[in-house]
Amino acid sequence: MFSLFQYEFMQRAFLAIVAMSLFAPLLGVFLVLRRQSLMSDTLSHVSLAGVAFGLFIGISPNLSTIVVVILAAILLEYLRTLYRNFLEVATAILMSVGLSLALIFANTGRGKGINLDQYLFGSIVTVSQTQVILLAILAAIVLVVFVLFMRPMYVMTFDEDTAFVDGLPVRLMSTLFNVVTGVAIALMIPVAGALLVSAIMVMPASIAMRVGLTFKRVLMFSVIIGFIGMLTGLVISYESGAPASATITLVFIFVFVMTLSISKLKTTFK
Amino acid sequence: MDYIKVNNLSFVYDAEPVLENVAFRISAGEFVTLTGENGAAKSTLVKATLGIIKPKTGEIKIAKQNIKGKKLRVAYLPQQIASFNAGFPSTVKEFVISGRFPRSGWFKRITQHDLEHVEKSLRSVGMWEQRDKRMGALSGGQKQRVAIARMFASDPDLFILDEPTTGMDDVSRSEFYRLMSHAAHRHGKAVLMITHDAEDVKAFSDRNIHLARKQNTHWRCFSVHENTAEQSSKALENKEASGV
Repeated sequence: MFSLFQYEFMQRAFLAIVAMSLFAPLLGVFLVLRRQSLMSDTLSHVSLAGVAFGLFIGISPNLSTIVVVILAAILLEYLRTLYRNFLEVATAILMSVGLSLALIFANTGRGKGINLDQYLFGSIVTVSQTQVILLAILAAIVLVVFVLFMRPMYVMTFDEDTAFVDGLPVRLMSTLFNVVTGVAIALMIPVAGALLVSAIMVMPASIAMRVGLTFKRVLMFSVIIGFIGMLTGLVISYESGAPASATITLVFIFVFVMTLSISKLKTTFK
Repeated sequence: MDYIKVNNLSFVYDAEPVLENVAFRISAGEFVTLTGENGAAKSTLVKATLGIIKPKTGEIKIAKQNIKGKKLRVAYLPQQIASFNAGFPSTVKEFVISGRFPRSGWFKRITQHDLEHVEKSLRSVGMWEQRDKRMGALSGGQKQRVAIARMFASDPDLFILDEPTTGMDDVSRSEFYRLMSHAAHRHGKAVLMITHDAEDVKAFSDRNIHLARKQNTHWRCFSVHENTAEQSSKALENKEASGV
C-alpha cells in the first residue's frame, strides 16, 4: 500500500487529507447539531457561482469563490435569524441561486466554454502544492479557534437563548462560524468537488455522534473517522481507478450503515 | 433592591400588538410567578426582558450588581429546554459543568470548587447517579431536571424560569418550588417563574404577575393585572423574614 505514496501527487493528496480531516469533520459536528447540515451543500453550490464568476471576469477563482461564499454565509446567518423556523426555505433558495448563476456565468458571452467539471466533482489527486498549503493554514486556524472557543460553541450549539443570557455574543459567533465554514468549503471544492464536499463534513460527524459518549470524544472521533475514511477512499480509488471523492463518500456511507446496524443489533440483543 | 425593572413595555408580533404598557419589578429575595392563559405572551415577555427579542417600546433595567455588590448573575431556563437537541452528544455531568463556564470564566480551567458545585446541583435534583449517562438516553422529565441542575450549578442571583416543572411529578414539583422559595427567602435570590400552577405555587411564592387581556383593545393584547392584597402582604412578610 505504501508504494502508492512514492508518487508526488499521492503525497500531496495524502497531505490534503490530513489537513481536511483536521477541520472538515469538526465543522461538521457543529453543522449537524445546529441543524445546518444542508448549509454546507448550499455554500458549495454558491461557491460554484464564485468559481464561474472568477473565471468569467478573469480573476483567480479561489479568490472570487472565497468572497462569494463569505457573503453567502453572512446572508444565510441573516436569513436564519429572520426566518428562524423556515431556514430550509432560505437554504433551498440560495442553493438554486448559486447553481443558476454558475450556469449563466459558464455559458454566456465571454464565459462560454468554461468547464466546471473539476469544481463539480473535484479531484484530490490533482491537488496543487498551493492548495495543500492553504488547507494546512485553514486547519491550523480552525484547530486554534476550536481549542479556544470550544466551551462557548458547546453552549451556543445546545441553545442560543441560554448562551445569550450566559453573556455570549451569539450573533457574532454564529456569523463567524458560518464564514469559517464557507471558507473551508471554498478551499475544499477543487479537491472534493461541490457535489460531495458536504459528505466529508457531515458524514464523519454523524458517525462520531453515534459512537462518542462525551462531546469531546465526538469531536475527536469525527477527526479520526474523517482521516481513516478519506485515506481508505483514496487507496481504493487508486487501486480501482474510481473517482476519489465518490469513493470517499461511499466509504463514509458504508461505515455509517455499519455503525447503525451494530447499534441496532446491540439494542436487539440487550 | 430591584433586580428587574420594566416600564411601559410593548411588543408587536407581525404588526399585531401582543403586550401593551407592561410594567413590573422583581427584587432580591422575591419569588414571583408569572401567569396568564395560553398565548398570553408570557414567554415573549420574559425573552423581551432578557433582551433575547426586541420590544417595540419600553424601558428594561436589569441590575448590574447583586445585593453583595458583585456582578449580578442571571440564569434562564427556556420552556421545554429538555426537548431541544434531543440527541445532543454529551453526558449529564459535561452538560451541568457547562453551567459553571459563565461564572468561572469561559477560558479557565474547571476547579475542584466548580466540580463540588456540579455534584451538589446534580444531587439536589436527584440526578447524580445518572451523571455519566448520555443526555439523549434520559427521559423528558430527567432531562428537565438536568437542565435545572445546570442552572443551579451556575449559582445565579436571578432565576428566570419558563415552565420549569414540565414533565415532573407532583412530589418533584413541590420539592422544586420549595427549593426556589429557599433560594429567594433564605439566600436573597430573585425568582421569576412562568407557571400554569399558580395555585400550587402560592404557598411558596410572594406574589403573582398575571397577564390579562386588555379591555377595549385588540383581543390578543395583554397587560399586567394587579396583584392581590393577600399576596403583596405575604411578599412583605417573606422579605422581612429573609432580611433583604
